[in-house]
This record gives sequence, structure tokens and C-alpha cells, in this order.
Amino acid sequence: MVSVCKTDEVAPGTSLRVEIDGLPPLAVFNVDDEFFVIDDTCTHGDASLCDGEIEDGQVECPWHNARFCIKTGKALTFPAVVPQKTYVVRVLDGTVHIEKND
Amino acid sequence: MTDRFHIKLAGGNVAFDCASDDTLLRGGLRQGLGLAYECNVGACGSCKFDLVDGEVDDLFPAAPGLKPKERERGKRLACQCVPRSDCTIKIRSGEEYVSDHVPRKMQARLIAKRALTHDISEFSFATGEAAQFLPGQYALLRLEGIGQARAYSMSNLANADGTWQFIIRKVPAGIVSNALFDTLQVGSELELDGPYGIAYLRPQIPRPIVCIAGGSGLAPVLSIIRGTRDAGGLRGIPQLLYGGRGPGDIPDIAAMLSVSGVEAGIHPVVSMPELAPVAAWSGDVGFVHEFVPKKLGQPLTAYEYYLAGPPPMIEACVRMLVAEHNVPSTQIHFDRFF
Repeated sequence: MVSVCKTDEVAPGTSLRVEIDGLPPLAVFNVDDEFFVIDDTCTHGDASLCDGEIEDGQVECPWHNARFCIKTGKALTFPAVVPQKTYVVRVLDGTVHIEKND
Repeated sequence: MTDRFHIKLAGGNVAFDCASDDTLLRGGLRQGLGLAYECNVGACGSCKFDLVDGEVDDLFPAAPGLKPKERERGKRLACQCVPRSDCTIKIRSGEEYVSDHVPRKMQARLIAKRALTHDISEFSFATGEAAQFLPGQYALLRLEGIGQARAYSMSNLANADGTWQFIIRKVPAGIVSNALFDTLQVGSELELDGPYGIAYLRPQIPRPIVCIAGGSGLAPVLSIIRGTRDAGGLRGIPQLLYGGRGPGDIPDIAAMLSVSGVEAGIHPVVSMPELAPVAAWSGDVGFVHEFVPKKLGQPLTAYEYYLAGPPPMIEACVRMLVAEHNVPSTQIHFDRFF
């Protein structure tokens, strides 16, 4: 497991970009106090999803308005067609962790 | 007399002058800045910006490129806003948006019109100076008395004569296309503003080229195929897949290319052969994206793709290429027109 950030660093309805050695940039989302972690770099281009709008459990990439499901990473609208990678999240002691599979 | 205003890009020292009758996007592109854009007509949202300071007029407040929520938060489209004062704006930019040739407004005279199918014609215009653009780019055509300009891709190549050639479909209820077909006479003039577009031919890329097009998307891919003639024969001949509804929608592409002295593998596909007005169609039937894997000899990741045509066609092709065949998005080029 890799610790990513503190739960109080990500308010409900917001996201936080976190960079960890050995992993691509990550986006941590707090959706109604449930935490999800997906790759931050959009599969379609180079935009940061943390710069995107969050609504109803979906995040919209700021460059071309492609939407992804925060929970599953699924690409919901064109021009995104490849899902964002998701990570298994564990919240322990006020810290968000992800399981890192090598 | 048009005023000129000073437009500053937030967070740096970059600024440009913009005429009061020119949109912020085009004003910036004219001065060689790489402001983000794609369609130029308010549909794609790529040029959205924040107005940090100053005043603008929004020529198209209902433009589909922005969602209502984005508008409420103060976002505007740079391709639809003209300045009313000096401004500071926050807008995305990138090297890929800088073209070899900055766009300019010119007067263009219609010199020829040629029917290719029942509703697609080739229009040739002449300007008073050399025509400079990259294969695959487009220009905005504005007719006198008609408010909105329309984007059309050039089907020919840059030339010293000043000829700009377009392939235009007469769209039912299309104000501009109907005017071009029915009203504009040989010798009449219109305003041509260009070139624009980021889906231009990248000649330095060694991968063999595949063009996929439908409708008037034939124009940019013809320009791209013609452009490969001078780029060296290292790649093998380009392949063109062209889709239409019925056999009457397929122009004689082979004839058009042979006039230019260019070879290409041409694969027409119709989705509704029962529309045939003449002899029955004996060629491929279906949607053009379905035939891409069937017509190409190598794994799909080996090719460089240029797409042009109706948005559903582009979407189906991109899904098939990227999601099913793992072709990197960087190998697929198209301008989004909605």
C-alpha cells in the first residue's frame, strides 16, 4: 500500500493532484466522503483531470470536455474512448492509501 | 474605422493586438500565437477562456461549445468574442496550434464551379496573391449579407496562382451552402479568412498514411493525399476509405487524383446501396469504419490516420482505432466540426 494524502486535504466535491515516485500523476476525488483515486492525466490528451469540473460522480476533462466516471474510470463521452486507470483505495487513520500492484 | 485593442494573456508577457471586428482567437492566431482552438465556429469548446479584465461582445451567446454552467462561471469562447476594450484573458495555448502560415482575411473571386455528385460540388476561388496553406487545413468563407462564416477545407495544394479549391455539399436548409450553390456566380466575390486547422499533413512522419472520409470531408483528405506526392515515396501509397449513403454520393475520386498525378488505394463504401439510381452497387456495403481493419495489410498501429467527415463517422473510427486496436491518439488527426 502507498499513502497518497490525508483525507482532510480533499474536501467533498473536490479533487487533489498527487505525484508519487514510480507512479503517474494521481487524482484523488472525494465524492460525498468516499475517496477514489484514478490517473490524473486524461487518456485522450495531456490535461490534468484535477483541473476539470466534478458533477454527479463524473469528472470532465478541461481540454475537450470528455467525461469520466470517477468511481470506475470509464470514458463516458467522446473524445475519450479509453478508460482512466483506477486504483483500489483504503482509508486508514485519516489517510488515503492505494494498493500498488507491481 | 476599426479600433485595435491590446489583448494580454494572463500570467506572462505575451500580448497581441486585435481589431474590434475580429475575434480574440483569430486576432491571436494572426500574430502567430498558438491559442487553443479547433472548429472556429463555436461548437467544440477548445478555445474557451476566462475574461480576467476588459470587455468583449459575444457574437454567439448560445454557442454549443460551452455548457450553461461554464457560461455562468464566466467562460467565453475566443472564436466568438470581439474586444470592446483592452483585455486580459486566460486561455489554453500550445505549439500545435501555431501554423506555418498565419491566417489572413482576403477577397476571393469565384472562378469555377463543378458538380461531383448530385449535391457535392467543387468550388475554385482566386485571391490576388499566392495561396499559402498546409494540406488538410481549412478557411472561413463569408458571403456578403450572411452573418456567420462557414469553415471549408481546401482540397488543392498551396500555389503561387492564389487558387483556393473547396468541396462543398449543399446541405438542406444550409444558409451558406445554399447561397454558394444557388446565388454566387462566377466572378462574384466573398471574404476568405485562412488558413486554419490543426489536422494538417505531417510529412516528416514515416508511417504509411490512411485517410478516412465521408461527405465533404473528401476535401481535406484529397489535399493531404495530393500533398504526399512531394513528400517522398518512402511510405507506400496512401489509402483512402470514403463512405457515403448511396452510390450516387461517391464522387469519381480516382479521376480527381489522376489529374493531380497522385496514386492512392481508393476504397468506397456505401451504407445504403438501395439508393442506387443507376446500375446496382457491387462494391462494399456498410459503414466506412468497419472496413478499415479489412482493407489494411499491417496492424493498425503501423499507420498515421487523417479523418474528415460527419461527427458520428469520426467518433466510430476513433473508437475502433483507439479502443479496439490500441492506436495512439497522437497518430490520429482530425478537426472537430459539429
